[in-house]
Amino acid sequence: MQNGKVVGVAFQGYSGDIAQGVAYMIPTPVIRRFLTDIKDNRYDKYVDLGLTYSKLQNPAQRRYLGLPDDGRGVMVDTVIEAGPTGKALKQGDVLLSIDDHAIASDAFVELEGERVEMPEVVERKFKGDKVKFEILRDRKPMTLRIELNTVWPYQMQAHHYDTRPRYVVYGGLIFQPLSLDLLDAYQTGDPRVRHYFDYFILEQIYLQHPDVIVLTNILPDPTNTYLAAYRSSIVDEVNGKKMTTLNDLAQAFAEASDRFVIKMIGGGPPLVLDRKEVESARERIRTRYNVIAEQNLDEQPVSAQVSAKSEEPHS
Amino acid sequence: MQIRVAFFLVFLLLGVSQTVWAKKESTTKAVQPRQLSLLRVNVTGQGYDYFRPWQKRAPFSKRALGAVLSQGRVLVTADLVANQNYVELERAESGEKMAASVEVVDYEANLALLQPQDKKFLDGLSPLELASDTAVGDRVAALQLEQTGALVVTDGLVTAVQVMHYPVEVGQFLTYRLSIALQYRDNSYTVPLVKNNKLAGLLLRYDPRSQLMDAIPAPVIAHFLKDAAKPEYSGFPTVGFDYFPTRDPQLRKYAGETGNGGGVYVTDIEPGTAVEKAGLQEGDIITAIGNFDLDQNGNYVDPIYKKLDFTNLLTTRVYSGDKVLLKIHRQGKPMQLDVMMEHRTPDEYVISPYSRDEAPKYYILGGLIFQELTRQYLREWGPNWLKEAPQRFVYLDRFQWELFPEGHRRVVILSQILPVNGTIGYEDFGYLTVTKVNGKDVHSLNDLAEAVKHPIDGFDRIETEEDPKVIPLDVAQAQADEPTLRENYGISALQRLK
Repeated sequence: MQNGKVVGVAFQGYSGDIAQGVAYMIPTPVIRRFLTDIKDNRYDKYVDLGLTYSKLQNPAQRRYLGLPDDGRGVMVDTVIEAGPTGKALKQGDVLLSIDDHAIASDAFVELEGERVEMPEVVERKFKGDKVKFEILRDRKPMTLRIELNTVWPYQMQAHHYDTRPRYVVYGGLIFQPLSLDLLDAYQTGDPRVRHYFDYFILEQIYLQHPDVIVLTNILPDPTNTYLAAYRSSIVDEVNGKKMTTLNDLAQAFAEASDRFVIKMIGGGPPLVLDRKEVESARERIRTRYNVIAEQNLDEQPVSAQVSAKSEEPHS
Repeated sequence: MQIRVAFFLVFLLLGVSQTVWAKKESTTKAVQPRQLSLLRVNVTGQGYDYFRPWQKRAPFSKRALGAVLSQGRVLVTADLVANQNYVELERAESGEKMAASVEVVDYEANLALLQPQDKKFLDGLSPLELASDTAVGDRVAALQLEQTGALVVTDGLVTAVQVMHYPVEVGQFLTYRLSIALQYRDNSYTVPLVKNNKLAGLLLRYDPRSQLMDAIPAPVIAHFLKDAAKPEYSGFPTVGFDYFPTRDPQLRKYAGETGNGGGVYVTDIEPGTAVEKAGLQEGDIITAIGNFDLDQNGNYVDPIYKKLDFTNLLTTRVYSGDKVLLKIHRQGKPMQLDVMMEHRTPDEYVISPYSRDEAPKYYILGGLIFQELTRQYLREWGPNWLKEAPQRFVYLDRFQWELFPEGHRRVVILSQILPVNGTIGYEDFGYLTVTKVNGKDVHSLNDLAEAVKHPIDGFDRIETEEDPKVIPLDVAQAQADEPTLRENYGISALQRLK
């Protein structure tokens, strides 16, 4: 508080198990944005351009792109197809200005008298707002107007609060979509799972696998005695059908087939489940492990409250 | 019944050894050599620095033991002579020295043969024969030397015989595990193990806390010596596939297996390997190799060791060029495959698993350092490299057969950038995978060297898998920066393509 007015919300960083002893403050632009966003009683979360870019400070690189030596512009590296710029921008485009703020070659813009990084312009906006870019494509100037939206694949790499995790339990096998929260909980060292997490967006893995379905755990039962080796595998197919979302998997298990042949990504033997055996084990597993629901396919908020995404820096 | 017979045999062996030696030596039960069969081996060497591939690391020196064999040969571990500059033999009892050459070396089996400049240097030492019959429960003795040249004998018990990875982690070979309280000596590098005055093995690794030793067993040494006698050393055969046990009844049913027989489920066949050429397919069940049936876990019954992983049948018991009969079931149908066993050299990998005695390749272009991705490079991140090295590269290495099934290529990386005038603004880049240069596919450092001969409009256009995707380099500027690179960074040659 300052002079009776809110200037920020303070919090302390926390590294693993010790407090950092340094306070950070969520500044008023962030608070104001949050308050504006929830005016309609719905939190739309942050919008994003959905792209990566690099600075343009190498003289040869500037000449190569046909830019003068004026310290302006950044180059687009990867455009995320699922994002708002997915169709509008492409690799190699040079972004010269955003909403008429000149973009410097170190990716900073001047906003309300302060030098801030270019995405800050977008972070103060809301879902449905437009942003104007002046760009250079193949040395030709162009002006683009882009309607902003959230970029859903980013949600996979972000923490989620107050929502029940999605899962499917079948034959004691727990299948869950890969996410930051899941990795935090399981601490898997599996190199494939880590790669699918790290490159979910940059390698556009989300296009083929909107959900990366991981067999995270096994509730031991006579029907799954020999399946421990499949833990941390990523589901590719069930009975020849590609599994792209957790819903696909739930549907596949609902089919009346004699057995389910689950192929995992990257070879290895298929995991084979006999439906009759799984069905006969169903009650046993439910009672032994107190499984209240065998699946949760929607990420519903725990209560009807507004669920806010935390913006604290990860330490 | 079988177990009882085995115990009886062990008892018999112990009994025999005791009657012969009990009078002379009561403190150790294992047999001591009548004559000295050891000498010291001094090695000076220098490894390569993969972070600065144009230079070598600081020199090291190692002091070890060598086991004298017939025909003037001296056996040591390959680890000892890796990246050697100079090898010298030293008589323990007199201190007399002579230079030696490395005749044959196999880093995968971790064995090397040395030869003194003059074989007379070994006169008076008694060559060791091999004792290939060691089994679990046998006692063997580790031999070390005191500073004075006196022999130190430590008794150990063979507690397990299994198939394991050796230090370079290529292939799995037979290994003895011993319980032994080995003493520290400054020359403990290659420690021979003897049984009945014969060479039973060589130290592979030792954990002083648990007092457990893994040893290269005599059968592996015998295999190496037989191969080494050929005009060209071929190396141990490569297995070339992964497998999975067939205990899971649902997997058995899926694979067409009826009844409760043995066999392993074949997965992940590496392209270009002998088993692939022989027609082995994913999903096949290997039920027998030669005359040995496999159980559901992949063990066979070995005449000496009883239950043992079948890998032993494909690495230690056979030689490259041998034909091996695989009995398989394909969807329940019995079939037979003849596999002509082959050794896969590190060159035949996309990402080579190890490299010794060989200078790393590199190409420096205007401050950008290009290298071929190898596991040796990844190991520069230390023992914890799987976690500490760039994860993308670790992933490429781990899944190389899946990602590059066509083989016959390398992965070229932009490993780091040295600041010079031409690389201003590029300092954040590094650990990138190069896909194309000047529009041409780059599948090796030689491809890159060829592609940079054809710049486009005065620029070399380097394309990378990762951001920033394209790095342009001004050719004139890159050339102008060459003297700076040589002088400021002490780089004598800006490329090594071999």
